[in-house]
Amino acid sequence: MMRHDDLRDIARLAVAQAKAAGAQEAVASASRGVSVELSQREGQLEQATESRSSSVGIRLLVDERYSSHGTSDLRPQAVEVFIQRAVAATRLLEPDPHRALPDADRCGLAEGVELDAYSEAQEQLESAQRRVEVAQLEEALVARKDRGPLRSTTAYTGDSRSVAVVVFSNGFEGQSESTSFGYGATLTLEDVDGKLPEASSGYSTNHAEDLPGLAFVADEAWERALRRMGAGPVPSGRYPMLLENRAVGKILGVLLAPMSGAALHYGRSCLDGKLGQKVAASNFELLDDPHIPRGAGSRRFDADGFPSRKRVLVQGGELRCFLLNQYYARKLDVEPTTGGTSNLIIPPGPRGPEAIAADLPKAIRVESFLGGNANSTTGDFSFGIRGTLLEHGAPARSVSEMNIAGNLFELYERYLEAGNDVRRYGTSRVPSVLFDDIQFSGM
Amino acid sequence: MQSIITDIPLLVDRGSALEPGCGYFERFDIHAGVLRQVLAAALSRGGQDADLFFEHATSTMVALTDGAVNRASTGVELGMGVRVVVGDQVGYAYTEELTLEAMLSAARTAAEIASGGQPRQPVALTPRRYADLYPSQRRWDAVGVQERAALVRIWESEAFARDARIKKVQAYLMDSERVILVARPDGRLVQDHLPMTMGFVSCTAEQGDRKESAGYNVAARRGMEQYDDGDVGGRLVDQAVERTLFLLDAGSPPAGEMPVVLAPGASGILLHEAVGHGLEADFCRKGVSIYGGKLGQRVANEQVTIVDDGTMPGARGSINTDDEGNAPKRTVLVEKGILQGFIHDEISARHFGVEPTGSGRRESFRQPPMPRMRVTYMENGPYSPEEIIASVDRGIYCETFANGQVQIGAGDFAFYMRHGWLIEGGKLTRPLKDANIIGNGPQALERVTMVGNDLKLDEGGWTCGKEGQGVPVGQGLPTALVSSLVVGGAG
Repeated sequence: MMRHDDLRDIARLAVAQAKAAGAQEAVASASRGVSVELSQREGQLEQATESRSSSVGIRLLVDERYSSHGTSDLRPQAVEVFIQRAVAATRLLEPDPHRALPDADRCGLAEGVELDAYSEAQEQLESAQRRVEVAQLEEALVARKDRGPLRSTTAYTGDSRSVAVVVFSNGFEGQSESTSFGYGATLTLEDVDGKLPEASSGYSTNHAEDLPGLAFVADEAWERALRRMGAGPVPSGRYPMLLENRAVGKILGVLLAPMSGAALHYGRSCLDGKLGQKVAASNFELLDDPHIPRGAGSRRFDADGFPSRKRVLVQGGELRCFLLNQYYARKLDVEPTTGGTSNLIIPPGPRGPEAIAADLPKAIRVESFLGGNANSTTGDFSFGIRGTLLEHGAPARSVSEMNIAGNLFELYERYLEAGNDVRRYGTSRVPSVLFDDIQFSGM
Repeated sequence: MQSIITDIPLLVDRGSALEPGCGYFERFDIHAGVLRQVLAAALSRGGQDADLFFEHATSTMVALTDGAVNRASTGVELGMGVRVVVGDQVGYAYTEELTLEAMLSAARTAAEIASGGQPRQPVALTPRRYADLYPSQRRWDAVGVQERAALVRIWESEAFARDARIKKVQAYLMDSERVILVARPDGRLVQDHLPMTMGFVSCTAEQGDRKESAGYNVAARRGMEQYDDGDVGGRLVDQAVERTLFLLDAGSPPAGEMPVVLAPGASGILLHEAVGHGLEADFCRKGVSIYGGKLGQRVANEQVTIVDDGTMPGARGSINTDDEGNAPKRTVLVEKGILQGFIHDEISARHFGVEPTGSGRRESFRQPPMPRMRVTYMENGPYSPEEIIASVDRGIYCETFANGQVQIGAGDFAFYMRHGWLIEGGKLTRPLKDANIIGNGPQALERVTMVGNDLKLDEGGWTCGKEGQGVPVGQGLPTALVSSLVVGGAG
């Protein structure tokens, strides 16, 4: 397609220049993007930003030595000098025999996959349309002001397109193109104690028609902000944790970090040696699906040039797959899988989060996180949370200033069920999930 | 503060006329005539103010893994951004092509924020000079890969030599040289050359069936001379090894509300999250900060004085100029418990009718500036660290931290402790690890009941994130007692 032609030329030239300078293998990528973002507050446009960027990246293998480089200075002379210097600098490193490009016949694009990630409509958008949309969103937020004590609200819209080409010296060439349309809002309310609780709602999708609607975002921002009123800690103890779909990604991260090749190789993985073993309750299932049309993480090839494919990560509570790129797979002397996830899937259960909560005398619904971290070496984690104490499903108290803490194995062993409310935005396409008996610290 | 930035010659002979030089960026054909035209385009629709921000940055990372210096990466960033300001409104656009055509196009795009008033002409540019807080003796662009590699090799071999339980070591050296140029319609032309380096050593240790990882990093705005005497390397190795071995015997703290004693140094993260962000005046002018209406009010007890300072020589968070062309200041935020001031960029300073504090910072030419912290610390108080620990019957002592976060409006904040101790009967009794600690900013500040006399500035490579922009910052604290915070332990 037209929009890739010059980028392909730039990337091919970079590979040729690297080889001419003495590299045996090279992978060059060239990308270009345009994005526009607007924010609106108090009836006027607050900020309008327009970005146009392009860059070239190159990974080099010179006499078994490896390095990677990137530049936004695309003047042809500058790129050539940049690559020559990069090759020269690489020679001064020590060899790393595990670095190699995959054989050409293992590289390629996933067949029969239509990602549908690019919308021609983005290029047609005019600034007047964008201004109208952001103003309408702000109006929708302000129009709901009788719902609560509004302090301030800001509406955002943005759209972008980006195109990238990658050229491997083994002959593989891949390209990707995507557009993004999005909007969102943040809302600050006035609480009785002088606190100004805030909340936001925001969405972005490849195609504008997949967005949920301005009214939906305005309603959701209000609902989420109102939930924050009167928030505080409840007594420390062990509660069932109903994790809202939008917050699940962070808890999946605790499981995914020790699955990476780097963590395994450098001795920083509590999942080392656990392939095929039980790491979660037997009804827990986690998949990675790169081929969802219009999916936020969808792709046809990965960073090694391997065709992307759907993978089962955890099934029946057993760990089925590590995230191994070519390099760490060679170091660990196993077959590579893929270096990173795309769209994470937890299959939905039969009932909604409301029905799940209704069965529980007491549970804390975790809606977002504040700070916290996890240790991939041991699996220990501790996160600040915000949410709602539910009694038989009914909101009893808005919760803040509390933490959850525990260990990866203990957490996933206590997984009980998935809701049916799969979130279709972002790279975690997951429903709300319920864990039993989690340590909360608060009052 | 003896030396000054002298890279910009005041006047350059261009044949037809003498005009101010553009220093470093002359190599990209940027000169005063170009700046004037682009500024005029920025103000062509009646914008009140504007700035041009040029940046050329080169960065290098050398890594030692698996016993060999076998990975390196470099990066180049070149471009310029144009900001146009009308009251509180901002139009912004940038280009990575430094051609006149591309810059004029960016300027016209940014100018669209203004509704079409009288065009204004910029005033003739005059280079402005500020004190140089980080004169670099050995610039990174003159240091070879082999010299960098030799450093990380030493760090690795010393780390292994420290203790047989250390099984894996990774060592990294990161550095960058960044040159910026700010041009303003009022004639200001300010250039800065910002070096940065960070060394990082991380270890994995094994003892019986226990395995733990930790690391240590040291950062500064310095050139290769940072490593000349070996002190920094020694601390990197000592701390990385010590912190890793410490974890082998550490457990999870108890859960719930308890007194928290903060060790001197990195505990300044408390100030950054609990106070600093809430005093960034963009939040205050929008009415969304919990501290917004509290200027002149008591927010802490008399022992507490908090400063955000951009002028500490060589510090990671220091700047010779902010990214709007203002000299950085030492900004007192809280003095003897009274809220004295906010952290300003020009928009917020104009809004509140005060002088800018030299805190308008941005990650790169791709973003407009915002009020940002630089080096945030608390001044010394009256107590010895021993007195403070002895005052706690049951609580925790926090030594090192990984990350933090805050909610500006609600004031809730969190920071993650990596290493600490249980305090029982006024004594440190049991090593602790890995717990998120959470509280409410104004409440936590009120609960600072004892401040020590041992202020220490942390030397770590902290990066503060705000609205998608990361900027290097520093922090410090004397030993301090917060009478109650919620500790996210599992024990």
